[in-house]
Amino acid sequence: MPVRVAWGIQHPMSGHLTLYLDVDGDYVINTEPDVGYTHRGLEKTAEYRHFIQFVPIIERACNFDASNFALGYARAVEALMGVEVPERAKYLRVIAAELSRIMSHLYAQALLSMTGGFETMTVWSANDRELILDLLEMLTGARVTHTYIVPGGVRADLPEGFKGRSEEVLSYLERRIWDYYKMLFQNKTFQDRTMGVGVLSREEAIELGVTGPNLRASGVDFDTRRDDPYAAYDKLDFNVVVFKEGDSYTRALVRFYEIAESIKIIRQALKDLPEGPVKCKVPPALPKGEVYTRVETGRGELGIYLVGAGGNRPYRLKISAPSFRNLMGLIHLCRDVPMGDIPVIYYSFDILLLDVDR
Amino acid sequence: MSLPIPTPSPLEPLIPGLPPLPLPVLPPPLNKLVEFIATPDFIKLAVDLGLKLLLFPGLTFIMLYAMLAVWAERKLHARIHLRIGPYHVGPILGLFQLVADGIKLLGKEIITPKEAHKLGYHLAPLLIMVLSMTFLAFIPYFPIGEGRYWTIYYTEYSLLVILALTSLKPFIMILAGWASNNKYTTMGAMRAAFQLLAYEVPLMLSAASVVMLAGSFDLAKIAEAQAGMWYIVPCFLGFIVFFVATMAEICRRPLDIITAEQEIVFGPWTEYTGMEYGLIMMAEYVDVAVASFLVTMLFLGGWHGPGLHPLAWVLIKMGVMSVFFMIGRSVWPRLRIDQLLDAGWRKLIPVSLIQVVIALLLVQALKVMPA
Repeated sequence: MPVRVAWGIQHPMSGHLTLYLDVDGDYVINTEPDVGYTHRGLEKTAEYRHFIQFVPIIERACNFDASNFALGYARAVEALMGVEVPERAKYLRVIAAELSRIMSHLYAQALLSMTGGFETMTVWSANDRELILDLLEMLTGARVTHTYIVPGGVRADLPEGFKGRSEEVLSYLERRIWDYYKMLFQNKTFQDRTMGVGVLSREEAIELGVTGPNLRASGVDFDTRRDDPYAAYDKLDFNVVVFKEGDSYTRALVRFYEIAESIKIIRQALKDLPEGPVKCKVPPALPKGEVYTRVETGRGELGIYLVGAGGNRPYRLKISAPSFRNLMGLIHLCRDVPMGDIPVIYYSFDILLLDVDR
Repeated sequence: MSLPIPTPSPLEPLIPGLPPLPLPVLPPPLNKLVEFIATPDFIKLAVDLGLKLLLFPGLTFIMLYAMLAVWAERKLHARIHLRIGPYHVGPILGLFQLVADGIKLLGKEIITPKEAHKLGYHLAPLLIMVLSMTFLAFIPYFPIGEGRYWTIYYTEYSLLVILALTSLKPFIMILAGWASNNKYTTMGAMRAAFQLLAYEVPLMLSAASVVMLAGSFDLAKIAEAQAGMWYIVPCFLGFIVFFVATMAEICRRPLDIITAEQEIVFGPWTEYTGMEYGLIMMAEYVDVAVASFLVTMLFLGGWHGPGLHPLAWVLIKMGVMSVFFMIGRSVWPRLRIDQLLDAGWRKLIPVSLIQVVIALLLVQALKVMPA
């Protein structure tokens, strides 16, 4: 007889998300997520704010990956207005977004190692994330929620000494990630815990609408940065990391290699950085019309559907959040698995409830 | 008909000049006990036992050990993490962190869950502490003369007693898990039962190879037999198996599946608060001490070593073993329960059987070899 266990809120590893698990012995038969604990009504809030005022608010939809979310919103607003931002701003956006992606991926890696009680990797990843946060503070003035990318460009130009400092941090991180590789990905026990756990096939991944690194781990070669380029991604050279296996180990490995790719992108962007202004004038009001744009965030594809009605407030804003789509994959996989695999599968998807609920 | 009540024999007064103490008159055999209490032998026994119970290996030693072990574990763990670790409490480097934690725990309320079985719930932490301390009574620590050892209770079968007592621990966990009446504690209790299956057979088999070589169940004799060569040399496989099985028995990460925090909160001990939780944590570190003592006695030559006092050698060896028991936590993630069972049955048991065969051959070879 299965027993229903609330694996959530008051649990050391659950975060804000409650999973109701039907447990038979030490085996999970069925899983039901209880979303909504952190629902803040961001979409409705957008209808009562000036479109510029909404930039810091959308960053709260996913504060582990703030700049990418701000970039998604800025792209939608600019597409609706038909504004083309200056070249230099595009490159600066790429730098902020990629730093934000590294920050998000390092945190995902920290949490995934925590699921097996592997605190060493948790602390190492979180420590090195601090360096990225310091770099972002230098660039944007804030550590976690930056409000750097705004419709029309970026708020400020590169600070003095940023290039040198970022080169130091990036080359340190480049050496450091091979320590991660040896400590985490070549660790036999970690492999035992994650390899073959939570296998999501290519067809299932497409059918369930899983996005981002989780989709690429299942063998689907899709990345919005390359396939629907925005900012300066079409002028930069980078690889899309794709693996076939689709298990928890591969999902972590995709993130690991994406950190390396992000380092490459930031280096290129800093090297090719053109001169010029960093922002342009935007019209004071949103024109009539509707637009759907997407960007690749650390957790997957973020879609923004924006309807303008002529005023300075959006008529309707719909956030299609990556974590919400990945949640479908999580529910699908958390069936007929041992209890010990639940946290591994959960954190291999890198789901953030703030992003699910919005 | 009246029962014959024996008349007490007249006793010499303890202090001359005073009348003899009015001793109660009890039926046999209790009258013998009363007589014994009045003799000087009793004072000797009391002092001897008191020293052992209160000083070494009793309360003082184990408290000091727990304090140092928790501090060393946290410091070591922090160094591997590239952190600093405890720093502010105590004279140097946060040495008194455990004292501070203990005082904090003493100040906390002991909460009993509404649906819990009260007696079983409050009994379990006491039992686990008592059980862990009981092991210490049977270990001979160092020789204090010809054929005499510093131990609380000397028996020829000390290893057998200890191995038999280890199988009691999961029952206390099942008691705690069931009495707490919580889904997570019940799951932890079931895991305790499974884990017993995984580690018990390899533990016994690897200890058996040492017993065969020494020809005795007596830990003192086993340690004495290692004067020439430590048993880690002929029994290296057995040492590895014993180490892993003991790690599973005392629930150290990566084999702390019973209390897996990320999965089932704290296993059977989820509901405990205050000093009951303190007792459980304390018992965990007493277990580490016992396991380190056992490995020292069985494989690392006991008290043998050049120069220093035997006790110093025992403490050095058990300290090194304790570090080995603790360091696994920062190097490996936790295994899953089915992986532990798989490793226990398909890897540890065959390896320990190979060790048994090696030990048998060695024993036979030593017999036929000219002395």
